[in-house]
Amino acid sequence: MQQALTRKLESFEPLSDQARWALNGLTLKVRQVGARQDLIQEGDKPDNVLLILDGFACRYKVLPDGQRQIMALLVPGDFCDLNVFILDEMDHSIGTISTCQVVDIPRQAIDEITVHHPSIARAFWWCSLVDGAVLREWLVNVGGRPPVQRIAHLLCELLMRLEAVGRVTDNSYAFPLTQTEIADTMGLSDVHVNRTLRELRALGLIHLKYRVLTILDVERLKAFCLFTPNYLHLRNTRWGERRALSWPGRAQEG
Amino acid sequence: MSEQGNVETLIVLQPIAVDTASPDREGRLVIANGLLVAVLVRLDGPEHDNPGSWFMEAGFGRLQGQRAPAFPALEDATRWLRRHLKRT
Repeated sequence: MQQALTRKLESFEPLSDQARWALNGLTLKVRQVGARQDLIQEGDKPDNVLLILDGFACRYKVLPDGQRQIMALLVPGDFCDLNVFILDEMDHSIGTISTCQVVDIPRQAIDEITVHHPSIARAFWWCSLVDGAVLREWLVNVGGRPPVQRIAHLLCELLMRLEAVGRVTDNSYAFPLTQTEIADTMGLSDVHVNRTLRELRALGLIHLKYRVLTILDVERLKAFCLFTPNYLHLRNTRWGERRALSWPGRAQEG
Repeated sequence: MSEQGNVETLIVLQPIAVDTASPDREGRLVIANGLLVAVLVRLDGPEHDNPGSWFMEAGFGRLQGQRAPAFPALEDATRWLRRHLKRT
């Protein structure tokens, strides 16, 4: 279970055995949180850094009329804001989507591990920068792509993020989001999500049953939504290798 | 037409077929005081949570970008539309 964090960080930055051992020390106090529970709410004072080890969570805001917007999906290995404890109060809420294994890491432990392990500090920076890059891509997605490409893009992104932490088998992964949650994520209505998923199924691109999503043809789905994985900055994965191939000049880095 | 609060908006529903790239086809143009304000579509696809209900496929003017729930009947849709058209 702890591996999710190590695997994610190692997809950004090589880690020594000592660094890996230190990381395992961060994830000792694991608690289970049921599905659709708030981990922290808008207005709360953030004390610890939250880390998702298993399950799906999301970052969201609710408008005065009750409309919810999900701004990020958090999957195994994802921190819910690494440096959030610097802020006085939460400007958004974080809640689980499925049952989650969550770790509360005291801010002091984050400070200490980054002082003693520069490679972990660098990997943490990667995490924060990639979180920002994903948010930018989501803005482009919601603002610029038509619904069917928009959802296809999300499914491609999740495939890669989950694969980087070992949660994909034969291009299938757990997909606990309801249609309403997809709608809240993509800025669409439930009806449009329903029709869009139907269309992706009819095109033979995906299969979704019992909350497991299978991408039937990864290359076709990526071509369909013009998916470019550069914003995920994954290095030590099969995607990273492909990235190195597409930009030969940078293949020597890292 | 007058837009004063004490004058009831005249709403006419005109049948129309709508291409939604799905089995949902049967629609209504919603005309309020002579102006097209929305298009409603009946949810016929079996995968919908609430087949048979009515969905605001598109809204114009004040209804543009509004997210509405699916309505069990056309009367419910009309009531909702009337309420949201009044808002300034």
